[in-house]
Amino acid sequence: MVLVGELSLWIALLMCAWSVTTSFAGGHLRRADLVASGERGLYAGVGFIGLASIGLWTALLTSDFSLRYVASFTSANLPVVYKISAFWGGQAGSMLFWCLVLAGYAGLATWANRKHNRELMPWVTGTNALVLLFFVATTALASNPFEHLDWVPPDGRGLNPQLQNPAMAIHPPLLYLGYVATAIPFGFAIAALVTRRLDAAWLGAVRRWSLVSWVFLTLGIVMGMWWAYVELGWGGYWMWDPVENASLLPWLTGTAFLHSIMIQEKRGMLRKWNVTLVVATFMLSVLGTFITRSGIIQSVHSFAQSPVGSWFATFMVLAIVATGILVSTRLKDLEAQAQLEAMISREAAFLYNNLVLVGIAFSVLWGTLFPILSEAVRGTKITVGESFFNAVNVPLGLLLLALTGIGPLIAWRKASVQNIQRQFVGPAAFGLIVGAALFVLGIRVMSPLIAWSLAAFVAGTIVQEFYKGVGARRRMYGEGAFMAFGRLVARNRRRYGGYIVHAGIVIIFSAFAGMAFKKEYDVTLADGETYRALDPYGRTWSFTSEGLSSAKQLNRQVVTVALRPEMNGRRLDIITSEKRQHFDSRGNPSFQPSTEVGILSRKDMDVYVVLAGVVQERAEIRIAFNPLVAWVWHGGVLMALGGLIVMWPQSEKRRQQGYVAALEPQPEVMSA
Amino acid sequence: MSGAERGSDRRTFLVTATAVGAAFVARAVQSQEPAAQQNFAPMEEGAYRPTLRAAKPDATPQLSDDERDVLEHRIKCQCGCPLDIYTCRTTDFTCSVSPAMHRDVMRLVAGGYDAKEILAAFVETYGEVALTEPTKQGFNWAGYLAPGIAMATGAIALTLFVRKWVADSRTAAAVRAGASMPGAASDAMSDDDRARLERALREDA
Repeated sequence: MVLVGELSLWIALLMCAWSVTTSFAGGHLRRADLVASGERGLYAGVGFIGLASIGLWTALLTSDFSLRYVASFTSANLPVVYKISAFWGGQAGSMLFWCLVLAGYAGLATWANRKHNRELMPWVTGTNALVLLFFVATTALASNPFEHLDWVPPDGRGLNPQLQNPAMAIHPPLLYLGYVATAIPFGFAIAALVTRRLDAAWLGAVRRWSLVSWVFLTLGIVMGMWWAYVELGWGGYWMWDPVENASLLPWLTGTAFLHSIMIQEKRGMLRKWNVTLVVATFMLSVLGTFITRSGIIQSVHSFAQSPVGSWFATFMVLAIVATGILVSTRLKDLEAQAQLEAMISREAAFLYNNLVLVGIAFSVLWGTLFPILSEAVRGTKITVGESFFNAVNVPLGLLLLALTGIGPLIAWRKASVQNIQRQFVGPAAFGLIVGAALFVLGIRVMSPLIAWSLAAFVAGTIVQEFYKGVGARRRMYGEGAFMAFGRLVARNRRRYGGYIVHAGIVIIFSAFAGMAFKKEYDVTLADGETYRALDPYGRTWSFTSEGLSSAKQLNRQVVTVALRPEMNGRRLDIITSEKRQHFDSRGNPSFQPSTEVGILSRKDMDVYVVLAGVVQERAEIRIAFNPLVAWVWHGGVLMALGGLIVMWPQSEKRRQQGYVAALEPQPEVMSA
Repeated sequence: MSGAERGSDRRTFLVTATAVGAAFVARAVQSQEPAAQQNFAPMEEGAYRPTLRAAKPDATPQLSDDERDVLEHRIKCQCGCPLDIYTCRTTDFTCSVSPAMHRDVMRLVAGGYDAKEILAAFVETYGEVALTEPTKQGFNWAGYLAPGIAMATGAIALTLFVRKWVADSRTAAAVRAGASMPGAASDAMSDDDRARLERALREDA
């Protein structure tokens, strides 16, 4: 099976090349037989990439250490679940995983459009196959997971312990599902440019794929934050690491696109901008994959040495140049149909929302790449750390939070003064009251004070919208509150799903602000000793050591410290933190010892315990009180849920009958 | 083109493409180089370099323990991890670099050096990479200012565009309104406008 997989990768390369050639030729010559052949070539490519993936999984599960990849990232005693996840644990495997996901998406997009968008599809299929060709070629030629060693070692090096975490089995696939989905809108954008069919029709096909990407990126980013929080042990969930930044970039431009697409759908505007955002989102996804795997950020020289780096750089340059030529030759087709009617309108609010989102993306990209620039210009290595990113992005994030509340309340086309007063008085008053209350309660740190006030304002706008919508349904149809709420969301998924996403944003921003009040203590405890500490809410905690223990588990030796916590004299669940030393199958230590954090998660804060080490039978421990962390995960899940609601297809019957438009109570804001 | 010719073309194309592809694959397999497969940057245990200074005469510590911890958040551990030395030494007990750098900080504090002098000492030893953020001087200003300049430029440009679009839209609406009302356009012309139009038409004639 491994040999079949290896051969399949090469055959997939040929199939993709075939699909590119015949699809583009078919589109250009308008020959249906070539177009059909291109689609069949793509399906064949999908099948062979699937076989290649099965081949690699077989090699991983059977510990075929004749393959360099298997020997590099697994060992015989690695638990099965991590042998499976080792597929994306290293560069070559993750490249093949990219191919697998892209193949799946490209096949699905082609199949789903077998009766729709036929003018566009040859170019969509060709572009998708071309992107797939690049990734398969890079995998096969520059980073091949089927590369053989000169000999067969008795065991492999094993998987990095930090990757031996359930989150790491889920987080990379989610992120890749998000990254790769951006390729499909890119394919449609190229097709629309080539065929000059740049009306809103192509956006319909693109929107759902953009949402697929956005939902998976959201879940992937949140899952990555959770992994960093529970696994790395430094006490936070986001440190503006280049790899984290890489995942945020396409999310930001993708979010901008999902807002600006509405302006093109409703008003025929922003065509150039939307094409640019689609292309930028895809390019940033490729850049993200490149940054994640090439090590470019650590050193300029690793870029020159990495065979994958030069492939990626060439691909990105060619894609940008090709898209630039296409856009520049179709500027007339991209001219806007409608114009803005007023400075105070939802269109204008969305434009400023786009500015902020793209501004954040630029500042994150700039900060991420600035060390490379500095090294290239001055020959001096520098570090751009958390403080830089926070200084730039916190104010922009607060501005974005404010716009999250303002945008949906302003009417399309033109908002009147009365309309603005009616919509804003309640939420603005609520925001001010919350801000004043927090100030009175002693909150004097500006960023969280502003963040929570704005969060209250945005929450007020969301509640107001739901309240009006539910009220209207109850008046019109006599429904109960829950029924009205459910139907309100179900029958206008885009609008109310969007509000649910905004609610998730409010929760996440509020939780971020909570970390400004984090407290941490470095403690040394012997068996039976107690340490007392104050949490950010002023409560007294005591932590009594229940002692150290040592045990062998699976492929590791584990030293555990157990702490018995009490809050204001009330006993709580024991918290344990571990130090793990992993072994290979012959009992030799592999990798550096790793830390397993102990977390007592509560609604108001997490108690975060890290066993840093053991000195003379005394445990060196860091205890941190991290306010509101659990709400980051809740907010992330709510955002993804909102995205799913927005994405969920409306039934064809209902759509055709205009059922939604007819039944949905139209808030005043829409008609103003 | 007949179906047979088209089929023949397709076969020829398929054979040629397969041959070219096979040659390409064969050549690529021969020249294939081992791929770099390091997952994380390895810990550089030997990265520590002493940062020592003679104690100042009658040295008294300039920093409290809390201020020292804050300072350590501004110095990056050189073991290859992305953490500052305070976070690294309290998180990863296997790292020997951050505790060694921490000891240097302690010695410098005890030697009477203030935060600015301690940071400068670490920069002298390791270069600017010892700091968790770039110094605010020279080319580094580009790093700090570019996002702000880009945002300000974007905001100004967007505001100008929005104003222009709104103005264009109002003009277009006025023209449409004028065209739909008999006599409205001539009513909208002032005496000055009429005189100017007359002059222009005479000149053209």
